[in-house]
Amino acid sequence: MAGANFEDDEILGKAYDGRLMRRLLVFVRPYWRQLAVAMLLLFAAAAAELAPPYLVSQAIDGPIAARNPAGVVPIFGLYILALITAFACRYGQTYIMQSTGQQVMVDIRMRIFSHIQRMSLAFFDRNPVGRLLTRLTNDVDALNEFLAQGMVALLGDSARLIFVVITMLVLNWRLALISFLMLPLMVVATVFFQRYMRASFRAVRQRLARINAYLNEQITGMLVTQLFNREGRSRARFDELSDDYRGAQFGVLMAFALFFPTVSFLSVAATVLLLNLGGRLVLGGLATIGMLVAFIQYADQMFGPIRQIAENYNTLQSAMASSERIFRILDTQADVTDPAEPQALPQPVRGEIELNNVWFSYDPAASDESPTAETAETRPSADNWVLRGISLKIPAGQSVAVVGATGAGKTSLISLLARFYDIQRGAITLDGIDIRALRQADVRRHIAAVPQDPVCFSGTIMSNIRLHNQQISDAQVRRAAEIANAAPFIERLPGGYNYIVRERGSNLSVGQRQLLAFARAIAFNPEVLLILDEATSSVDTETEMLMQAALGRLLHGRTSIVIAHRLSTIRDVDRIIVLHKGRVVEDGSHEELLTQRGYYYRLYQLQFAEQMSAA
Amino acid sequence: MEHLRHVLPFVARYRKRLLLGLLCAAGSAALTALIPQILRTVVDELNAHGVVAADLIRAGGLMLLFALVDSLFRFGQRRFVAGGAYLVEYDIRGALFRRLLTLDQGFYGNAHTGDLMTRVTNDLSAVRQFLGPGINSLMTAVLFISTAGTLLVRTNGTLALLVLALLPIITLLFVTIGGRMQRIFRSVQDQFGDISTRAQENFSGIRTIKAYAQEEDEIRVFLEENERYRAQNVRYVLLSGLLWPAIAVVMGLISALVLLVGGRFVASGTMTLGDLVLFNTYLALLSWPMVNLGWTVNLYQQASASMGRIAEVLHRQPAITSPAEAPAQLAIGGAIEFRNVGIRFDHALAAEHRTLTATGSRPTIEEPPSHADRPAAEGWVLRHISFTVPRGSSLAIVGATGVGKTTLVNLLARVRDPDEGQVLIDGHDIRTLPLDELRHAIGYVPQDTFLFSVPLRENVTFGRPDASQADVDRAAEIARLSNDLNQFPDGLDTLIGERGVTLSGGQKQRTAIARAVLRDPAILVLDDALSSVDTHTAAQILAGLRDVMQERTSIIIAQRIATVKDADRVIVLHNGQIAERGTHRELVQQGGRYAAMYRRELLEAELTEE
Ligand SMILES: Nc1ncnc2c1ncn2[C@@H]1O[C@H](COP(=O)(O)OP(=O)(O)OP(=O)(O)O)[C@@H](O)[C@H]1O
Ligand SMILES: Nc1ncnc2c1ncn2[C@@H]1O[C@H](COP(=O)(O)OP(=O)(O)OP(=O)(O)O)[C@@H](O)[C@H]1O
Ligand SMILES: [Mg+2]
Repeated sequence: MAGANFEDDEILGKAYDGRLMRRLLVFVRPYWRQLAVAMLLLFAAAAAELAPPYLVSQAIDGPIAARNPAGVVPIFGLYILALITAFACRYGQTYIMQSTGQQVMVDIRMRIFSHIQRMSLAFFDRNPVGRLLTRLTNDVDALNEFLAQGMVALLGDSARLIFVVITMLVLNWRLALISFLMLPLMVVATVFFQRYMRASFRAVRQRLARINAYLNEQITGMLVTQLFNREGRSRARFDELSDDYRGAQFGVLMAFALFFPTVSFLSVAATVLLLNLGGRLVLGGLATIGMLVAFIQYADQMFGPIRQIAENYNTLQSAMASSERIFRILDTQADVTDPAEPQALPQPVRGEIELNNVWFSYDPAASDESPTAETAETRPSADNWVLRGISLKIPAGQSVAVVGATGAGKTSLISLLARFYDIQRGAITLDGIDIRALRQADVRRHIAAVPQDPVCFSGTIMSNIRLHNQQISDAQVRRAAEIANAAPFIERLPGGYNYIVRERGSNLSVGQRQLLAFARAIAFNPEVLLILDEATSSVDTETEMLMQAALGRLLHGRTSIVIAHRLSTIRDVDRIIVLHKGRVVEDGSHEELLTQRGYYYRLYQLQFAEQMSAA
Repeated sequence: MEHLRHVLPFVARYRKRLLLGLLCAAGSAALTALIPQILRTVVDELNAHGVVAADLIRAGGLMLLFALVDSLFRFGQRRFVAGGAYLVEYDIRGALFRRLLTLDQGFYGNAHTGDLMTRVTNDLSAVRQFLGPGINSLMTAVLFISTAGTLLVRTNGTLALLVLALLPIITLLFVTIGGRMQRIFRSVQDQFGDISTRAQENFSGIRTIKAYAQEEDEIRVFLEENERYRAQNVRYVLLSGLLWPAIAVVMGLISALVLLVGGRFVASGTMTLGDLVLFNTYLALLSWPMVNLGWTVNLYQQASASMGRIAEVLHRQPAITSPAEAPAQLAIGGAIEFRNVGIRFDHALAAEHRTLTATGSRPTIEEPPSHADRPAAEGWVLRHISFTVPRGSSLAIVGATGVGKTTLVNLLARVRDPDEGQVLIDGHDIRTLPLDELRHAIGYVPQDTFLFSVPLRENVTFGRPDASQADVDRAAEIARLSNDLNQFPDGLDTLIGERGVTLSGGQKQRTAIARAVLRDPAILVLDDALSSVDTHTAAQILAGLRDVMQERTSIIIAQRIATVKDADRVIVLHNGQIAERGTHRELVQQGGRYAAMYRRELLEAELTEE
């Protein structure tokens, strides 16, 4: 199912990639002061934590051995001091790191989101929503985990390890060497298990992601599954995924179940070694008994950081993989971009559109082979040109209808006018200026396209009409709704304009969703060009007529393009263009096309002639 | 907090594992507690210089042996307890999904997809956390604390009491800070949920966002959400940053006290140095179980709340079910009758207000209010609807936007049940028919096309996975999907984008038609299914359908006269009632709403004729 969407998520990532790291550090650099303070605190804490075992040994060998109870008190005092210092440093460090980490995350998340906003629609066709969301959430989290915890921990633990080793060597090098005997085994065991765990965790994450993707699609499409009696198959598929997931979980379980007992066995073994070999040292007078006791604790303090380092090494690795995925998105060049020096439209904008030999394909590879009439002719099905050399001129103020069989390329054509995609060949101009020389925002301010699928967002009716545009007042929203003839139904809803619209508008009828989308277009008040892509296909003809009357007054003198299958929708247009398999096959007024006796004529026949005979 | 009882039936299956785990835990606790004892003996002997190398080796060997057996026990404990938890999680996940498959649109209409997903993933994992690691460490903690406690008391009563009195502070600390952390964390997560919902809606609606050049506004709103999230998080960090350092401080304090008090004992000769070392070692060993106790308490609370949310779904009764005893195997013929049907929506808005105020920002899924407490005469969408469609005939339904056409035909496949009256097929109330047979008999083309992101072919064969190639071809032919196949890179095997984004509107609709036709249903329902198909293709599709639908019943909803005019019967819905009924010809002559609709389409035909 969603399997195909995962290739991107399989990146394993090198443990350390200097190039990626440098790019990541760019995000961290603004906060270097906070980081420096946190680092200082970190080292201070690590040092303070070394004191207690030493103090214990001092107490045992000093006052206790000397049978001097009062002598323990000052040592106790120092002990407390060390504790409090360690506490303060650690808390301060954690707080600074974590809150800075959050700020960095906001920065990164905004970078990704803003970047995605600038991508063209082709990008969204390629990338499933789920994947983009994962970049924004899980991958950013993985980075956060590393930047806010992993990196610090890695440094802190290394520091602690080094401190402990040095302290041990200074205190009693013989005991120290004995303590180090188990070190290699511990390192080997840790590294081995950590490798294994990393693989298992990755499997768990992947399979969970798969379950999530499946579940999401199933929940949104549940009605279809039920109506088509697919419950059995869905269940089987889900069980399969769930089973896979459980298998991966068992992998992790085994890793833990083996690792922890192994580690605790090894640390007992280290104690035994110390007792046996160190015991002889004590007997031989080369070490005190207090030192031996302290070393039993130091040995534990030494193993802790090793485990932690191994763990954080994994964090580092997954952070690297995440940042690679994130940078892959950030490095994706928008294929529709604003020019470096955008031209300004001559004022006032008139709204004259011209298409000059426009070739277009959704497949970016198509641009490589140069389109010639012959290749298109000889291999009609092999290539995937959606539009094949369209040339049109729509004078300002004209109203045009585009008709044609489904899949002819009507939607694609208007997507190009709004510059959702760039064409491979030819040119599209607005008032004589190539739209690629204009800023996209300018183009779209002048051209409002009501898309074929009426999109509703969760929120209120009000927020659905004005989106997040604060410049549109409540009154303007209401006026737009009236013009779109959406007001009557909105006012009947409980709560009126504050009616809660559910995800994808599921508590509105489809026609109502179209009316909302229409009201939205009017609220945004395009300056010259309005494009309606089957915007009223599910709206009844009476509502539509009222709508058109209001719209006619509003848009008087503006250019408009309408795509529709119902001829009543296009009754008032000046000109009709018939598209067939990506070409303009007929172009002219209603009367002209009727006399041509082509596609439009047949369409007309179909819709009216039969009815008249029926009546 | 009693929600965890819902988990018992799932756990019961694995009680043997739990028992085995418990045994392992007991074994391990005893051994772990014994090892420091040996250590103490050795230290004392060393201190007294009354030891020879052989003693050291013997003691070492014994410790190693204990440690080895202990490791085996620990392994077993994890295997059994944590492994059992994964099995329980798997079972609950399966049960949840099975339940989701039976729940009706009344449920889905009031639930957010994201929220449901959270229940199946995060909430479930919280329950598993408690059942696995939680129970695991609870066992270890209780067993170890009691064994070690006893041993300590036997060694030195005063010092042991001091230690045992102080150690629970760690647990308390964890429960207090941890509990408060959880509450903040909940709101952090909710805020995070808002961020991802915002992003998800943005990405899915990107065409609209771009069409109105709203990117900058979207970025601004997204930044606001993120800032809120950060602020919540900093609040959380303020607390969570405290947890471990505070616990470390308390642990350290206890060790210091042991040193102070125990040191005096040793110095004054009432205790041996070995005893002091023993105390120190136990202290280290005991503090983790203490932390774990606190952790388990938190896990318990979390799991309980989560299980409550899971149970809401798990125990939610589907409103649409198969009758307990269905009539003997019957072939559904397809004569349809609607008898005095009425429908109303208990309004979404009111429901949402209720849930939101009841539980803060996290919506709960409510049982629908019972009919008794709804004021009468409120919110009827349709009422007193009666009509029949004889077997093998066709019915067209027309009416203004939002009048209730979709809602009405949804009754047929029992997407919902009427609030009043009955729907009958072949004279049986459909509520008495087995649900899957009923749905098998219906080919439904919903108004809102939903396609899965699988190859086109799988979408077409969705309702009949075993269909032969010839049948698939025929269905594609009837739906005129065949016209477009050569435009797709891999024909029928082309993988389509999410929800079909890479198809044109008409292609999506025609795929849905092919999907319904392939089932060869007794009843075909087309809800505005040709709205994005050009008239020409639509006429071909309708003609093709007429061929296959002889003997079959069909219901067509449309806004185009051309689509409905050939139906055997047409009904016009208006203001919640059937305003007109008859054939196309009759209705045109009646001069009512239908005739007006007809004239609207005709009008300009005449006008432009001139
Ligand atoms: N889940 C829901 N909760 C609350 N109200 C709903 C829900 N679904 C539909 N409605 C309301 O019920 C009414 C009828 O909706 P329905 O979808 O049946 O209309 P329709 O006749 O099919 O319209 P259209 O021609 O636009 O498809 C509408 O006013 C709609 O807002
Ligand atoms: N995002 C896309 N990626 C790849 N192919 C696409 C995409 N959108 C459309 N197509 C293909 O381009 C062709 C033209 O589609 P388009 O949506 O322009 O048709 P249309 O004339 O609007 O049809 P309809 O009347 O059915 O809406 C179709 O074959 C379609 O499959
Ligand atoms: Mg409808």
